[in-house]
Amino acid sequence: MRHGEPRARLAPHGMAHLARLLQFSDSTLPIGAFAFSNGLESALQTGIVTDADSLLPFVELALHQTARTDGVALLHAHRAALAADEAGLVAADRELFCRRVGEEQQLMLTRMGKKLAELALKISPSPMLTRWLAQIRSNETPGCLPVAQAITLAHLGADESEAFVVHQYGIASMILSAALRLMRIDHLETQRILFTAQGRVQDDYLAVRDLALEEMASFAPVFDVLVAHHTTVHVRLFMN
Amino acid sequence: MTLHGPLGLLDTARELRGFQTEPAQMRAGAPGKVGRLRLGFSLRDGVSVLHDLYRVAPLLVQQALYWDEAMPDLPVCPIISVGGGILQGDRYTIDITVGEGACAHVSTQGANRIHCMDANYAAQHQNVTVEAGGYLEYLPDVTIPYRGSRFLSRTEIVVAEDATLLYGEMVLAGRKHHHAEERFGFDLLSMDVTLRRPGGRKLFAEKILIERGDPTIAFAAVMRGFDVFANILCVTPPGTAARIKERFETNFSSDAPRAVSGVSRLPDAAGLMLRAVGVETYDVRNEVRRFWRIVREEARGRPLPAEPYWR
Repeated sequence: MRHGEPRARLAPHGMAHLARLLQFSDSTLPIGAFAFSNGLESALQTGIVTDADSLLPFVELALHQTARTDGVALLHAHRAALAADEAGLVAADRELFCRRVGEEQQLMLTRMGKKLAELALKISPSPMLTRWLAQIRSNETPGCLPVAQAITLAHLGADESEAFVVHQYGIASMILSAALRLMRIDHLETQRILFTAQGRVQDDYLAVRDLALEEMASFAPVFDVLVAHHTTVHVRLFMN
Repeated sequence: MTLHGPLGLLDTARELRGFQTEPAQMRAGAPGKVGRLRLGFSLRDGVSVLHDLYRVAPLLVQQALYWDEAMPDLPVCPIISVGGGILQGDRYTIDITVGEGACAHVSTQGANRIHCMDANYAAQHQNVTVEAGGYLEYLPDVTIPYRGSRFLSRTEIVVAEDATLLYGEMVLAGRKHHHAEERFGFDLLSMDVTLRRPGGRKLFAEKILIERGDPTIAFAAVMRGFDVFANILCVTPPGTAARIKERFETNFSSDAPRAVSGVSRLPDAAGLMLRAVGVETYDVRNEVRRFWRIVREEARGRPLPAEPYWR
C-alpha cells in the first residue's frame, strides 16, 4: 500500500463484535435447532410445500410471522436487558409464551431458549443470564428462545436491530436445514432461498419495532392446521 | 365521540388510526349505534336460567329457549341484530356470565355481516365469564366482512379451573360470489382474545390481524384455495382436554380438500384450539360441529343433535 492511501474501515462496533454475532447466528450453534422443522415436515406431507419454488414462500411466511410475534418479544426483551429490567424480561417471556398454540411449538420455543441460556452462560458469564436460567429452572418464567437471544446479544453489545437479524436468520436457517433432510433439494437451492428471504429483514424490523407486547399478531390459518397435523402423524423425523 | 370503558380503549388501537373520519350518516358511537347486551345465566332450583338480561338496540335477545333435544336443561339464546348487520361507527359490547354450575348456549340468528364502509370503523368488546363448574357454548355464526369494511373485536374471557367454555369465530373472507374484489377486500379485521383465570392469571392470548393488501394471504400456508377459517377455543380441565384431543381426527388430505382441520393444545394446560380452514362456510361448519360434538360428549356426557334443516 502506498503512503497516504486511505485504510480499510474497521467494522463499526469492532471486529470481535461482528465475529461473535456470526457465532451466535451460526446454524451449528448447539441449541437443538436441528430437531425442529417449524411445520415444514407437515407442509411436505400435505403438499403445501412440494419443491424449491413453494419452499421460498413457506420460509417467507415463517419470517413474516415470527417477526410479528417472537420478534416483538425479542425487541422488548432486548430493551429490558439494556435497562437491567428483569421484570420486563419476564413480561416479554410470558406474553410470548401465552400466545403459542400447539405443544410442539411451545417445546421448540422453550427448549431452545433454555439451551441457549446454558450455552451463553458457559462461554460468556453474565449475572443477568445466571438469574434468568435460575428463573427458568424454578418455573418462574417459560424461558422462550427470543428472550434468551435478547439477553445474550445485549450482553455482547449487539443493538436491537442486530439481535433481530440474528433471530430472523436463525428461523430461516432452521427451516432450510430441515428442508435438506426432508425433501429433494440441494444445498445450492437452499442457499439461494436463504439469500432471497433475508432481503425482507429490514422491512420486517420496521414493521414491528414500535409494537407493544399486546400487539403481537399473526394470520396463517393453514399453517396453524399444519401445527396441529404434526402432533398426530405417526412417522416423523422432526419434533415440530 | 369518546366512549367510556372498554369501547373507549378500543378507539386507541394502532390499526384504527387511519379510520377516524366521521360517517356522513349518524356519527360514530351515537345513540342507536351503541349496542349493548348483558346476559347472565345461573342455576335456580337445579335449572339453568337466564336471570339477567339487559339489551340496547341494535343488539337484541328476547328470552332463553329450551329447545336442544339432547340437552333439554340448556338455555339457548340467539343474539339478534335488528340492524341487519354491523355498520360504520357501530360500537357493541356483549357481556355473558355463566354462574356456578350453570350451563348455556349462545349463538347468533344469522351471519354477522360487516357492511361496506367509507368512513370510521366498527368495534365490539366482549366479556365472557364462566364460573366454577359452569358450561358455556358461545358459537356465533360466521362473520362476513364486506369489502372496504373495518372491524375490531376484543374478547376478554375468564374461566374457572373446572369450568368448560367452547367459544370461537368463523370468518368468511367477504361475499365471495358477489363481487370480484370481495375476497379479503376488507380494510381491516382485527380480532383478539385473552383468557384468564378468576384470580387474573393470564393463560392464553391471541390476536388475528389482517390488513388490506397483505401479500401473505395468497400463500399456500395461509389461505390459498380457501375462503373460510375458524378458530374455536375449548377451555376445559386437562383430563377432558386430553380425551377430546385423542378423539378428534386431524383432517388434512393432500388431494384438493374441501376443508382441513386439527386440534392443538393451548399453553399452560388451558385447553384446546380447533383450527379449521375450508372452501365454503358449510365445509368449515362441519369441522366445527365435529369438534363441538366431541367437546359436549366429553365435558357434559350429552350428544349434539343433528343440525336443524333450515341451516
